[in-house]
Amino acid sequence: MKIADSIPVREVEETYVNIHPIQAAGRLTAEAMKALIAFGDGYSTCDQCRKPFRLDKITKPPIAEFHDNLAKFVNMDHARVTPGARRAFQAVCQSLAEKGDSIIVTAVAHYTEFLAVESAKAVVKEVPLDNKNIITGDAVAQKIEDVTRESGKPPVLVLLDAFDYSFANEHDVKGAVKSAHQYDVPLLYNGAYTVGVKPVDGKALGADFVVGSGHKSMASPAPSGVLATTDEYASKVLRTTQMMGDVTSRKFGIKEVEMLGCTLMGGNILGMMASFPTLKQRISEWDEYVKKSNYVIDAILSIKGNRSLSEYPRKHTLTKVDTTDSFDVVARTHKRRGFFFSDELKERGIVGEFAGATRTWKLNTYGLSWDQTKYVADAFKEIANKYSLS
Amino acid sequence: MDERINNLFEALFALTDLRVLFRETAPLHKFSEEQKDNARDILNRAKDALNKLEEAL
Repeated sequence: MKIADSIPVREVEETYVNIHPIQAAGRLTAEAMKALIAFGDGYSTCDQCRKPFRLDKITKPPIAEFHDNLAKFVNMDHARVTPGARRAFQAVCQSLAEKGDSIIVTAVAHYTEFLAVESAKAVVKEVPLDNKNIITGDAVAQKIEDVTRESGKPPVLVLLDAFDYSFANEHDVKGAVKSAHQYDVPLLYNGAYTVGVKPVDGKALGADFVVGSGHKSMASPAPSGVLATTDEYASKVLRTTQMMGDVTSRKFGIKEVEMLGCTLMGGNILGMMASFPTLKQRISEWDEYVKKSNYVIDAILSIKGNRSLSEYPRKHTLTKVDTTDSFDVVARTHKRRGFFFSDELKERGIVGEFAGATRTWKLNTYGLSWDQTKYVADAFKEIANKYSLS
Repeated sequence: MDERINNLFEALFALTDLRVLFRETAPLHKFSEEQKDNARDILNRAKDALNKLEEAL
């Protein structure tokens, strides 16, 4: 089946159990799919856009109310939707940094944090991991001191991933906030792997900014994300334009500079809105999803030679495992090499691992039912048995 | 909303619910009794909407 004669219908989620590391929590709810059907047209949010002509002020559909609810959802004062978490990083970096300023990220920061810093003409400085691959508050404090000593001025921002993309280890956010604030440096909480799947309370954490990813963890279409902040920083990051045209004297006063005016003007924001009631409910089920994650990882670890590169027991549904001494041993002599493993999984209706990888690879079990969880766990053990690995 | 348009969306939305049921039961799609009942309800909603739509053409 093809769309417009060339685009194959994507039926990955209908046909398989998908354990792809970055796709699991972005799968749409039924309501988001319905919103896309109804609001897929380009500027569909603009049917009843009235003065002052800004996305977050639209009341029909209730986009303004959604913004208020989004801020409450992460317990911050203000929220805006953005085209992905990355554009939120960029908005904050560009607002706070002058050319040559230092911005602290971590040794497991997502690449888009690097790009956001570079786009602001600032300089990236990384906090190293400890021996358990965790970012500690003390390490953040040390880095702030190092940067201040080396460059002559403190960094203007700390970007910290609550759970990182690489190991999905939980980092010491409260400790990092305490350290950053000791030096009067604001902290951005990167919740790309938390906002939408587990409760996040920005004020309790002391974060100055909370960023979430719609397409990664909020069951929303890509690109979508959220930037939330405090009253203190709203006037900087959400500042409105002051420019006037020299020929026409035109001004666009209400438009926010870092948002480039309106952000998500169509199906993306309606998809976020439609999934929102589900998000509010599903964050209370986080512990159950972590249990399922541990169930699958325990099955993988029951196979001789396997180990978890992520902290264990798991505190997240995303995990990096090392199967060099098990599945990779088979791959070394198999005619399909590493693809034997993908073949075996696909034969059992499981996809999403990095095809061909049998050494270190990641999986995410978020959203699976218990039936699917047990099915996936059994599949790994079955494959191990088939090749006499267990 | 025009009744025909309403029925059009009703059918599309019902089939979307069925789509999600397939996702929730992948890869084997072995429906429990409750899921079978749910699927029947969804299909009846879709059929009903399509029948009304056809009658109103």
